Amino acid sequence: MSMFEDIPVDVGIIYEGERIRGSDMRIELGGPREEYKFELVQARGMDEIEDGKVIIIGQDISDFPERTNTPFGLIIEVAGKEVEKDLEGVVERRLHEYCNYIEGFMHLNQRYDIQMRISKKSFDKGFTSFKHMGEVLKRLFKSELSFIEKIQLTFITEPDLVKEWYSKALEIYEARDAKARGMSDDDVDVFYGCSLCQSFAPTHLCVITPQRYANCGAISWFDGKATAKVDPKGPVFEIPKGEVIDAKTGEYVGVNKVIQEKSLGEIERVQLYTTFGYPHTSCGCFEGCAFFIPEVDGFGVVHRNFKGQTVNGLNFVTISDLTAGGRQVDGFHGLSIEYMRSLKFLDADGGWGRVVWMPQDIKERIQDFLPPEIVPTIATESDVADLHQLKSWLMEKNHPIVERWSEEPGFAPTEIGEITVPTLEMPASAFPIQGIPSGMGFTIILKNAKIKAEKMIIKADKRR
Amino acid sequence: MSKKDLKLKFDELSSVIGTFKGLEIEVGRIFDDEWEEPMGPTPFPSVGTLRNWDRKLLERYKPFYMPFCDLCCLCTFGKCDLTGDKRGACGIDMAGQQSRIVLIACCIGASTHTAHARHMLDHLLEEFGRNAPLEVALNTGVEAPNIRLVCGIRPKTLRDLEDALDYVETQLVQLMAAAHTGQEGDNIDFESKAFHAGMLDHVAMEVADISQISTLGLPKGDPEAPMTELGYGSIDVSKPVIMCIGHNVLPSVDIIDYLMENKLFGEVEIGGLCCTAHDMSRYDKRSKVIGPISWQLRFIRAGIPDLIVVDEQCLRTDIMIEARKLGVPVIATSEKSCLGLPDRTHDDPDAIVRDLASGAVDGVLIIDPKKVGEVTVKTVLEVAPKRAGKKSFSLDELSELANSCRLCMECVRACPNNLPIVEAMQAAKEGDYSPFAALNDLCVGCARCESACPVDLPIISMITKANEPANLLEKFPMRVGRGAIQDTEIREVGQPIVFGEIPGVVAMVGCANYPAGGGDVARITEEFLKRRFIVVTSGCSAMNIAMTRDEEGLNLYEKYSGHFDAGGLVNVGSCVSNSHITGAAIKIANIFAKRNLRGNYEEIADYIYNRVGAVGVAWGAMSQKAASIAAGCWRLGIPVVVGPHGAKYRRMLLGRKDKEEDWIVYNARDGEEVYVGPAPEHLFYAAETVEEAIVMITKLTMRPNDTAKGRAVKLTHYIDLYKRYYGTMPDDLHLYVRKITDVPFTMRDEIMVALEEKDWSEEKIAIPDPTLLDRMVRRRS
Repeated sequence: MSMFEDIPVDVGIIYEGERIRGSDMRIELGGPREEYKFELVQARGMDEIEDGKVIIIGQDISDFPERTNTPFGLIIEVAGKEVEKDLEGVVERRLHEYCNYIEGFMHLNQRYDIQMRISKKSFDKGFTSFKHMGEVLKRLFKSELSFIEKIQLTFITEPDLVKEWYSKALEIYEARDAKARGMSDDDVDVFYGCSLCQSFAPTHLCVITPQRYANCGAISWFDGKATAKVDPKGPVFEIPKGEVIDAKTGEYVGVNKVIQEKSLGEIERVQLYTTFGYPHTSCGCFEGCAFFIPEVDGFGVVHRNFKGQTVNGLNFVTISDLTAGGRQVDGFHGLSIEYMRSLKFLDADGGWGRVVWMPQDIKERIQDFLPPEIVPTIATESDVADLHQLKSWLMEKNHPIVERWSEEPGFAPTEIGEITVPTLEMPASAFPIQGIPSGMGFTIILKNAKIKAEKMIIKADKRR
Repeated sequence: MSKKDLKLKFDELSSVIGTFKGLEIEVGRIFDDEWEEPMGPTPFPSVGTLRNWDRKLLERYKPFYMPFCDLCCLCTFGKCDLTGDKRGACGIDMAGQQSRIVLIACCIGASTHTAHARHMLDHLLEEFGRNAPLEVALNTGVEAPNIRLVCGIRPKTLRDLEDALDYVETQLVQLMAAAHTGQEGDNIDFESKAFHAGMLDHVAMEVADISQISTLGLPKGDPEAPMTELGYGSIDVSKPVIMCIGHNVLPSVDIIDYLMENKLFGEVEIGGLCCTAHDMSRYDKRSKVIGPISWQLRFIRAGIPDLIVVDEQCLRTDIMIEARKLGVPVIATSEKSCLGLPDRTHDDPDAIVRDLASGAVDGVLIIDPKKVGEVTVKTVLEVAPKRAGKKSFSLDELSELANSCRLCMECVRACPNNLPIVEAMQAAKEGDYSPFAALNDLCVGCARCESACPVDLPIISMITKANEPANLLEKFPMRVGRGAIQDTEIREVGQPIVFGEIPGVVAMVGCANYPAGGGDVARITEEFLKRRFIVVTSGCSAMNIAMTRDEEGLNLYEKYSGHFDAGGLVNVGSCVSNSHITGAAIKIANIFAKRNLRGNYEEIADYIYNRVGAVGVAWGAMSQKAASIAAGCWRLGIPVVVGPHGAKYRRMLLGRKDKEEDWIVYNARDGEEVYVGPAPEHLFYAAETVEEAIVMITKLTMRPNDTAKGRAVKLTHYIDLYKRYYGTMPDDLHLYVRKITDVPFTMRDEIMVALEEKDWSEEKIAIPDPTLLDRMVRRRS
């Protein structure tokens, strides 16, 4: 009765975390010892492929001696009325998950870097042929991604053919990436909305566009497209972007309409590429956060793995708490790492020309995507420790923000001074108060204070 | 120590209104009110404040009473027989009486942690000052989720914790008073009060643990906290051995400090039993963890300790008798457990050492931890050489003892787990000790068999002796208790929880009263780790988890990471560290949805109950503390599964999945009342077998708020395990599949058949923004 009754091993999510050690493995497909390996999904016309066909070129699993590795290529061709070239990448990435559903099968990495292992135990149970694997993948793909009407799978272990296809595959990946990078919001009529996080942040909705990944970093515009195709009424759905209200800030009639509806009227407008006015809301699982530093009129960006304190003395936890939970908070903006690679990153606020600080490791990860002249002017935790030092750094490195200081009449970077206590001077150590950020005054109220006070309440000024 | 936060003295101060001479200003408390979070509706809730919330839960999960005793004998009207529809002399009925005992048990449990916390805090205030800052965990802003939630305060220093503790103590007195003859009469109100005691308990535990973490340098939420050694074999018996038993680490800390200061650490072995051992290993990983509470008697009988130090909780109350038999001196260190010993707190340390070493006294009470440190180390160094020959017990003796057994079966009748002791005796008579050795892992160490034995055979000693060769080799790594879960970890798991890649959080906690040994705890734990649940653990369970190895010789701490993440095994620490487990659930609500914690209990409990797939498992729950810890989970909407002995807590909280009307919630989006299915089905459930427990735990992770993917993942595990252990498909799938997208696609065909049999259709079960609270419905003003 089970879908996989005729397969010699079990198939299910419960095998996803399985690891197969070298000593337990029957065969390794690809992996670090093989130069040539790949997995590739290709969209085809309905009459170009034969549904359910599994082709094996070269030796099959059982033909190999125990504990060997082999060059390996897997080509999956799919067809269907709704199947598009755009979806190839999304379909391809399902492979990792699906392969790992197979009992005694381990799949690591993706594309030209794959490593797969089949355990001795599963081999002994009868999982001896790519036919079985093809059969499993075929059923999984078709039952989850209902837009796939036909699927044909080709397993290649013949070394020369793997090598030949390997270089073709590299070209295809590159072309796919180039297309994705080159795509702009103007190229499409439809964005995607994701309300998955509403279970935790009920007024939050992620708007996913070609130039803006979901905050969690897990859903691209292409992913959105595929998911919405499978379950149009599900948590990921189409947003017809509608008329442009402001291309610079990224405000659209269609987006506002959907946001109002999905946030239950809580949020009325969203401008995708600014952190002021009507910023995109933040859920609770965003990968990073941009934060405004009024003292220098610029932004810091911090990601959730950064454990230290940012340049303004706050850590990621504090910063993210200021914006999480589906709210619009000026100057604080949850975001994904991938969005930092977008040309539209904080575009309306001045983009990278406005970013003054970020952690070292994230800077290294994304610096190839930044305007090259900006890279050396952005400070990290190894360059500056506080706002004083940051100011000097920016001036010294001639960060474009410095120009902004003089351009904007009336704006002078705030003096970063000591805490001053009005009227009464006392030794600072008399106050057991820590963590009052610089630049904040406070008022002392002596309650019931004749000579002996029962209580003294020290209130910090409200944040801006 | 100054009791004032601020003291200023001016010889002369001039101002516009005049000149002050000799002006003194004193401020008793400075309230640092820079917390911007608005105060919620229920700061410092009193006994009845959250009654409505409790009643909502108790309406769904009606108490099912299993009287452990049919009589009430609390007042001199009694004994009163309460069977059938009889009432006692005061008017109480069976349900009232059973729930009253539940309340009393929870009060005892909560009082124990509270007294522990008070002792800890008073001592630490004395030693570190009122302004010692609370630094609980790395990357963490929410330092005390339970205190924030319940009390509505944000503690920053040790001093602030006193406010929380004062509150808990006041409330516990109120609760205890409710159990007096002729006070509360309604069983549901008793239950609500038991929930209150549980909630207070988590506040008290939090106070105890965060104060010791902040001041004593215990790991601060470190996922890579060091490994320590656990087991008999970790103790080098050639050295003088100090054994610390109990839960309060303070005396042990001073023993370790004394060893360090006098460079004696290498020459003396210090090991602990029960939670003191956890906290010692958190303080210094070189101190050994001998094992859980059930090893207490065995280890003493093995003759290994040269000196026993007891602090508080879960001690054997006959420890003096046992120690006397072996000539091992005992140092009691807590006013709560004086053991009848003379108070020598104010005596000269060397005089005490002299008396203990010479055998002039067999034990002393010393309340000052510093003095305990010195006296303990000096005494053990003198006593150990004299005891050198007393450490063994011969196998011949064992066979001789067995020969005097009359095979009367009294021992088996007394054994809580009905272990085959008589068979072991018979074999031992014939020189085969292996059946005795086999009892070692199954025995909970209660020694009731010995009390029952008409010829006074030392059965526990016989078991220990028979298994001695294996015992002495047993040494397991255990990651020391890390304390709280970091805010950043909570944020990391947000997405996988929302997407359903992490099917739930399972807490393996509680005592060691296992029906068939601690191996079952490791087995349950691994089942969920393999399935990439997050597993957190504490106390005796955390120790037992360490004591099972796979065929490659690895235990679970070696195989799974200590991160609060899918497939992570997180040892939070001792009993009082359990507050970090509820704390993590509370922080999930706070950090994802930005729900305010401050004095906002009901909303957060509603949130956790409907959304966070957490389940507590206390497979060997024994104590009143375990009862109150569980009660604190219930009030937060976290279901708890216990082992078969847990039925002796006298009542379960069971849902009725067949009653559709029980499972209605508000959709917070529009206020509509909708049916969401029985998730989670029960709030307190005793499982008879490991298999039943595993299936039930999996099922109880389901919540009305699950996304389709999350529900599909949870259903996959539920169905897979159900089929594995019951051999068929579960018959209640139609209550848990809400839409076709909930169906795990790898099981689609067989599930659809099962659903068709039950006339399932897509519209019956809603996926709302679920809440039990009318006030949480969004209404635009």
